[in-house]
Amino acid sequence: MTAVHDVANPGAAPQTRDVVYDIDHVTLRFGGVTSLNDVSLKMYRGEILAVIGPNGAGKTSLFNSLTGVYHPQEGNINLAARVGDSPVSVLGQKTHVINHLGVARTFQNIRLFPALTALENVKVGVETRQKAGPIAAMLGMPWQRREERESTARAYELLSFVGLTERANELAGSLAYGEQRRLEIARALGTDPGVILLDEPAAGTNPAEKRDLADLITRINSEDGISVLLIEHDMKLVMSIAHRLVVLNFGEKIAEGTPEEIQKDPVVIAAYLGTTDEDDAAPVQADGTATADGIPPARGAHRSANEGDANEGEQS
Amino acid sequence: MKTGFFSSPHVKRLAGCMALAFVLALMIGNQEGSQDDYGLAFRQAIFSPRIILFIVIGLLVFAAMTFWPYITPYLLRPGVRPLAVGGITVLVSQTLLKWSDDGRTGNGKFNSVASKAANTDGLAPMAKLFFSNYLGWILLLVTFGLGAAAILISLRALAWVAAVLGVVGGIWAYTSQAAVRDFLGTPDHSTGGGVALIGYLTLAAAALATALATGDIADTRAFVNRLLAWRPGMPLVVLGLIVGVIAFVQATWFSPQGSNQTLTDTKTFFQGNGLANLAYQYLAWLGYVLFIATLLTAAAASYLRHRILGWVAAGLGAVALLLSLITMYDMTDLAAAAGVDGATGPWQNLGSGAWMACAAFFVLAGAGLVVATLGARDEQGELAPAEAPAARSSDTLSRGFSAPGSSKVFLFVILATALFYPPTATGFWQKVLVSEIGIYVLLAIGLNVVVGWAGLLDLGFIAFYAIGSYTTAYLTGALPFKPPSFLHLSPLLAIPFAIAICLLAGVALGAPTLRLRGDYLAIVTLGFGEIIRITANNNPGNITNGPKGAFGIPHPRIELGPIKFVWGQNNLQYWYLLLVLIVIVVLLFRRLEASRLGRAWAAIREDEVAAQATGINTTRVKLLAFAIGASTSGVAGVFFASQIGYINPENFVLNNSILVVAYVVFGGMGSLPGAMAGAAVLTWLPEFLKDQVPAEDRQMWIGAVVLLMMIFRPAGLIPAKRRAAELRGLNRSSSAEVGAVPEGEGMGVRA
Repeated sequence: MTAVHDVANPGAAPQTRDVVYDIDHVTLRFGGVTSLNDVSLKMYRGEILAVIGPNGAGKTSLFNSLTGVYHPQEGNINLAARVGDSPVSVLGQKTHVINHLGVARTFQNIRLFPALTALENVKVGVETRQKAGPIAAMLGMPWQRREERESTARAYELLSFVGLTERANELAGSLAYGEQRRLEIARALGTDPGVILLDEPAAGTNPAEKRDLADLITRINSEDGISVLLIEHDMKLVMSIAHRLVVLNFGEKIAEGTPEEIQKDPVVIAAYLGTTDEDDAAPVQADGTATADGIPPARGAHRSANEGDANEGEQS
Repeated sequence: MKTGFFSSPHVKRLAGCMALAFVLALMIGNQEGSQDDYGLAFRQAIFSPRIILFIVIGLLVFAAMTFWPYITPYLLRPGVRPLAVGGITVLVSQTLLKWSDDGRTGNGKFNSVASKAANTDGLAPMAKLFFSNYLGWILLLVTFGLGAAAILISLRALAWVAAVLGVVGGIWAYTSQAAVRDFLGTPDHSTGGGVALIGYLTLAAAALATALATGDIADTRAFVNRLLAWRPGMPLVVLGLIVGVIAFVQATWFSPQGSNQTLTDTKTFFQGNGLANLAYQYLAWLGYVLFIATLLTAAAASYLRHRILGWVAAGLGAVALLLSLITMYDMTDLAAAAGVDGATGPWQNLGSGAWMACAAFFVLAGAGLVVATLGARDEQGELAPAEAPAARSSDTLSRGFSAPGSSKVFLFVILATALFYPPTATGFWQKVLVSEIGIYVLLAIGLNVVVGWAGLLDLGFIAFYAIGSYTTAYLTGALPFKPPSFLHLSPLLAIPFAIAICLLAGVALGAPTLRLRGDYLAIVTLGFGEIIRITANNNPGNITNGPKGAFGIPHPRIELGPIKFVWGQNNLQYWYLLLVLIVIVVLLFRRLEASRLGRAWAAIREDEVAAQATGINTTRVKLLAFAIGASTSGVAGVFFASQIGYINPENFVLNNSILVVAYVVFGGMGSLPGAMAGAAVLTWLPEFLKDQVPAEDRQMWIGAVVLLMMIFRPAGLIPAKRRAAELRGLNRSSSAEVGAVPEGEGMGVRA
C-alpha cells in the first residue's frame, strides 16, 4: 500500500503457527496496583509482533515479566525460543537463564557498558555462549585463544550487520545516540537469540535513523529468522514493519490483530483518543501522511516518541 | 559595606590561605611543649621568624588561585612540567635525602654535608667548591630561574644556557657526592647525588624542550610517543649506555675495609690472588669489550630495526650478564675465604658497580629483544593484511603509549630495577622491600581483582591472608594440631593447598553474601575478617594456638634432585622468591583481564542489570572474582608465614585490610600496574618518612598525600582506562539527546 509497507512484505519472514511465547492469563501486581491484568497472548515464530499502548499501559512490565526481571503472581509464561525447543516455563527463572534459553533484549533507556569499546560490548554478548574458564584464560590455552578469535570475528560481523564497523574501537559511551541503539541490538544479537525483545528502539532517533532502524529490524527478522517483539510509540514505524500488533491499556489487552485491523479497531481508537465517537477519522495514519508521528498527541493520553520522555516508570 | 568586604571572595580566600599557612607552621617542627612550658610548640610555630616563610607560602597560594586564569596559558607551554618535576626532584634531594651515610657528616643531609665539606681540606677542589658558599643552592636557583624565564619570554638562547647548566649541575652534584664518599672511605648507600643528577637532567630536558619547541602548547604524550616510536629499543640503549658508563668508569666494584675500588682498582687488588682466570680477564679487559660490543650491537639493531642483530644483542647481553655475575661471585668468594672485612659470603661487600653493570647488560639485552620481537609482528601484519581488522587489538586495556614495543621498554626498565637495585640497598631497605613492599604489592594485586575489576568492596581481605598463613603453619607442623605425616610439607609445597583452601573460603564467604551490594557487602566482609582473626585468637579446640600464634614455621626450600636451595635469613633471597611469585601472578592476571571473564567483570561493574540480560551469570562471575582474589592473598600468606617464621592473630588486624583497599584505590582501581604502584608507594612512604618527620606525624603526612591524590587524581596513580572512562561519565557528555530519554524503567526495584 505504501513504500514503507513494501519494506516488510518482500522480506517474506517465514511466519509459522509455531508458538514462541505463550503468555497465559498473566497478572502482575505491585502491592495494590495491578500492572498486568489477565493478559493472554501468543507470539509465533518468525513474526514481528508489536506491543503498543499509551503510557502506563504495562508494556515494559510485560517485557520485564518475559525476561525474568519481574515475577507475575498469576498465570504462566511458556517459552520455546529456538526451532525445536520444547516449551519451558520462564516464571521464577533468573534473567541470565532466560537469556541462555534464547531471549535477548534491549532497554528503553540504553543500557550499554559505556566504558568498554563497541567491539567489547558485542563480545560480552557473544562470549556468554563460550566455554573456556578462568584457568584456561590465565594459561592462554589454545582453545581459549581460538574462542577469543571467534568472538572477535563474530563481533565484527555483527557490528558490520548493524553498520558500526567504523566505530568498533570507540568507547560505547562516546557513540552517537542512534549508534548506541544499534550497538545495543548488536550486543543482543551476539547471544544468538531465537527471539529478540526491543523496547522502544526508535525513541529519540531522527527520521533517517528511524528508517535505518526499520530496515535493520526487518533484516533481523527475515535474514536471521529471529522473532521480534517490539514496543514502539512511533506508529509509522510500527505499522510499516509489524506483522501483528497487540494493544495494551491499563494493564489489559484490548486488541490484537494485523496493522489494518488495529487501525480500524474502535476500542483502540477510544483508548488513544479518549473518545467513543466512531465518526472520528482513523487516528492511526499508517502511511504517515497526516502527521509525522502517526498518532496526533491527544488529551494527554499519549505523547509521541519523538518527544521521547514517555514515562514508563509505571507502578513499580 | 563592611559585611560586603568580609564576604568578598578574595578576602575569604586570603583568610583561608593565611589559616593554611598557620596550620602548616604548626604541623612542621616541634609539636609538643614540655612539662614546664606547654606553649613552647605554639610559640615556636607562630612567633619565631620562620613564620614568615609560611606566610609567604600562603600568599603565593593566594596569588596562584587568584591569578590562575592568567597563569594557565603559560602552564601549557612546552617544558613546564619537566621543569617543575626537575626542580622538585633536586629540591627533594637537597632537603630530604642523605648525601652521606657516614657519622662524621652530621645527619647526612645536604646542608649538613655541605657545611662539613666546605671546611675540609684535602677534598677534591671542585667538590669543595660545590659545597661551599651555598653554591649548590645557587646553582639550582639559577638553572631553574633561567629555565622558567626562557619559558616565560620564549627566548631560545636562554633555554640553551639553562640546558647546559642543567647537565653541568647534575654531573657536578653527582661527582661532588662521589668525592665526599671517596674522601670518607666508608660504605655508602646514600642516594642524594644520584637523585640530584636525575633532577638536573630533567631540568636540562625541560630547557631543551623549550629551546626546540615548535608550538605554544606542550603535548608530552605525543612527544614521548614520537621518542619511543623513532627507533624501538633506543631509549633502552641510551639508558644502558648511561648506567654502563657509570658502572665501568666510576662506580665501586668492591669495597672491603672501607676502600672504594672501581673496576680498574679491583684488577690490581685481585692480581695474583688466585681469582679464576675468566673472572680476572673480565676485570682486566673482557668486561669493557663485552660492554662496548653489546652496546654497539644493540644500538645498531635499534637503529637499523634489524631482527637478527637484535637477537645477537640479546644473546651478547645475556652472556655478559652471566659473566658479570660469575666475576662477582668469584671476587666475593675469594674475599670471604681470605677473611676480608665484611665479606662473609657470595655477593657480600660489593659496591653498586657490578650490579649496575648487570643492569646495563640486562637493559641492552632488553633493547635487542624489543627490536627482535617487534620485527616478527610487523612481518605478520604484512603477511595477512586482509585479516587486519579482526586481528587488531581493540580493547580498552591497551593503555598508555601507542608506539610499538613501548610497554616492553617500560617493562625492562622496571625489571632491571627490581632485579639489580635491591642488592645495593641497605639491609634496612632490603627488609622493607620484602616484608612491606613486596608482600603488600602481592596483596594489592589480589584485591584489585575483587575491588578493581569486579567492583566489589571487600574490607576483610586480610582474612584470606590469615587463612593462607595458618594453612602453611598447619601443613608444616607448626601448630599444636598436627597434620597427618603424609601431609607434612615444606612451605613452597603448601602453596597449592593454600590456594585451594582460600578458593573454598572465598566461595564460602561469597555464596551467601554476593547478593548484597555495595555498602552491605563491605560490612559483611568486614565482619568476616574479624571472625577469622578472633577465631584464631580464641583457639577453638586448640587448633590455632590462640594469641601465642604459631612459631617455628620453616623457611622455604627447594630440593629437586641435584638442585637444592634453602632460604635463610637473607632478605635478598626472599625478595627474588617474591619477585618470581609476583611476576607469575601478574602474567596470569594480565591474560585474565583481557579474557571474557575480565570483560564480564567490567560489564557487571558498569551495569549489572544489562549484564544479566546479556546472559552473564552475575553470581558466578562475582564468586570467581572473590575466589581468585582470595587465592592470591593465600599465596602471600604462605610467603609471609615461611619468611617470618612465626605468626599470630595480631598480624591480621582490620587495619591491614583497610590499608590494602587504600593501596588499590590510591594506585588506580582496576589497573594492575596501578595497584602495584599504589602498594609500593604507600608502603615505601612511611619508611622513608621515618627519617624525615617526627614519628607521631608520620600517619598525618601519609594521610595528606592520599588526600591530595584523591582530590587531584581521583582515578589513581596509574588509572585504568576502563575506570577512567567510567569516572568521566562519557555516556552523559556525548549526546545532548540522551537527556530526553526517561531514566527510570522500574528495573532497579523488584516485585
